[in-house]
Amino acid sequence: MTQHVNEKDVRTIAAYARIGLTQEEVAQMTIDLNDIIDSLRPITEYDLEGVEPTFHPIGGMSNVMREDVRRQGFSQDEALANAPRQEEGCFLIPAILGGESA
Amino acid sequence: MSVQAKESPFMNVAQIQAGLAAKSFSAHEVAAATLARIAAIDPSIHAFLEVTEQLAFEQAARIDAAIACGRLDECGPLAGAPMAFKDNMNQKGTHTTCSSRMLENYLSPYDATCVAKAIAAGAIPMGKLNMDEFAFGSSTETSCFGPTRNPWDLGRVPGGSSGGSAAAVAAGMVPLALGSDTGGSIRQPGSFCGVVAVKPSYGVVSRYGVVAFGSSLDQVGPFARSVEDAARALNAISGHDPLDCTSQHVTTDFTANLSEGVKGTRIGIVPAFMGAQGLESEVREKVEEAALLLEAAGAHIVEVDLPHAAAAMSAYYVLGPCEAFSNLARFDSVRYGYCDPGHKDLGTQYEASRAQGFGPEARRRIMLGSYLLSAGVYDTYYYPAQQVRTLITQDYTQAFRNVDCILTPVAPRTAFKFGEISDPTSMYLSDMFTISINIAGNGGMSLPVGSGVQTGLPVGVQLIAPQFKDENMLRVAAALEAVLGKAAVAPAFAEGDAL
Repeated sequence: MTQHVNEKDVRTIAAYARIGLTQEEVAQMTIDLNDIIDSLRPITEYDLEGVEPTFHPIGGMSNVMREDVRRQGFSQDEALANAPRQEEGCFLIPAILGGESA
Repeated sequence: MSVQAKESPFMNVAQIQAGLAAKSFSAHEVAAATLARIAAIDPSIHAFLEVTEQLAFEQAARIDAAIACGRLDECGPLAGAPMAFKDNMNQKGTHTTCSSRMLENYLSPYDATCVAKAIAAGAIPMGKLNMDEFAFGSSTETSCFGPTRNPWDLGRVPGGSSGGSAAAVAAGMVPLALGSDTGGSIRQPGSFCGVVAVKPSYGVVSRYGVVAFGSSLDQVGPFARSVEDAARALNAISGHDPLDCTSQHVTTDFTANLSEGVKGTRIGIVPAFMGAQGLESEVREKVEEAALLLEAAGAHIVEVDLPHAAAAMSAYYVLGPCEAFSNLARFDSVRYGYCDPGHKDLGTQYEASRAQGFGPEARRRIMLGSYLLSAGVYDTYYYPAQQVRTLITQDYTQAFRNVDCILTPVAPRTAFKFGEISDPTSMYLSDMFTISINIAGNGGMSLPVGSGVQTGLPVGVQLIAPQFKDENMLRVAAALEAVLGKAAVAPAFAEGDAL
């Protein structure tokens, strides 16, 4: 089996995806991803010269517009109801610009 | 509760409505009987993640009030029919967990359009149904709340990802359920559990409020124990929705031509599918039997070729994870969803929350999508996958010049045992016959055609329709059902009274 990604690559991919993996998880993920990527090989073997891509299953759709009318959105309370942490009507996150962290 | 009301869990929609019209029972009694049925048998199946007793009784009260005024026929095509929803569908006041720790405590502040339309059509909402986490799977084993069991054999999986939807209908807990299908997630559990399961053409049903997996592939559809019930449900949920710009102005009455039969209908068989490696003989035999039955009913069976179908698998496992990677980026541990507390910076909060909130298969697919979309790799996989999509779409266009409908297997085998398939790439083969339909965007459905001779477990055949001609497959399914009989409640749950 071809090695498509090594453990260093997997750590980089995990950083992109914002998923923190332990060293043990990186090792297993490397095996799994190589296995799966190997199974995708047929896609690289087709003669696709001159074939246009189809990005969407409904052809002929262009921008779909609607009337620009006001409609009721969520209230602040509803929008915050599922927030893991909130303060004074805002989502609360750790400091991102230095200074005191929340 | 009347004797007839106690039998309501075994009834189809028309029978329930006849009972309501004749005042043999009330909608309240139907809801109560369904709740009692779920309480009695779901502990052994685990199809439900949440039972919405209060919402059910509120809807039943609205219907009973209408009946009291002689207005049952104004309540909609699903009036009085209990229905349950896959747990990736928002329903106001319910949890919508996607069977993930990430959304374990999420309370929906709004209704998905498919849910709102079903309720507006008179369905009684009974609860939310188990699934593979974020719909990543073919067995419901990746649910972080534990698997659903197949009502035909509790030691086997119900299929997935909409396993809870299929099992709830197969066990006679509800006559109707909704699921979603990105690569086979309605049809394969429909086959494993022996129920009618319809994935309409992409664009027939709005996905607004359904947690997105692969946005160019996802479609919502119904489960039922009869073709007519499935068609009624599809009537209720289909059509344009300004909140999903891919939804189309579909005005088809899907029940209209169900009794027309198949005389003169041209039905395609794909020889390469019938000889596919991995297809079990007991499944192939049932598909061949279905072809013979349709021929006897006056259909012409024609061989058609889908030369690029073999590429669909790899195209799907490129497109699906890429779109999932993008869609699941929204789970940021800030606005909603699981948050691992106590981090000093936002980056480590993201990484810890997403690592702990997502299960192994979700993490794998997100990681795969992240890799496939990275610079340099994109041109090797993602772009060619979209070119392959063109070829697959052309295959179907060509095939449907000669036929009205195509008949294939749904899954290569019947339901497997828990833990029997453990490596991801083998699990992915469950969808080998269903995936190309999502890639091309046309309609496909599973119709139960009896039990396999080796395993004795349900087998479904897949009927495939041209894009936006979903009525074709429903009519062929109705013709087969007329010969074979309607889908049965799983035997272990069908004996004696419903309660």
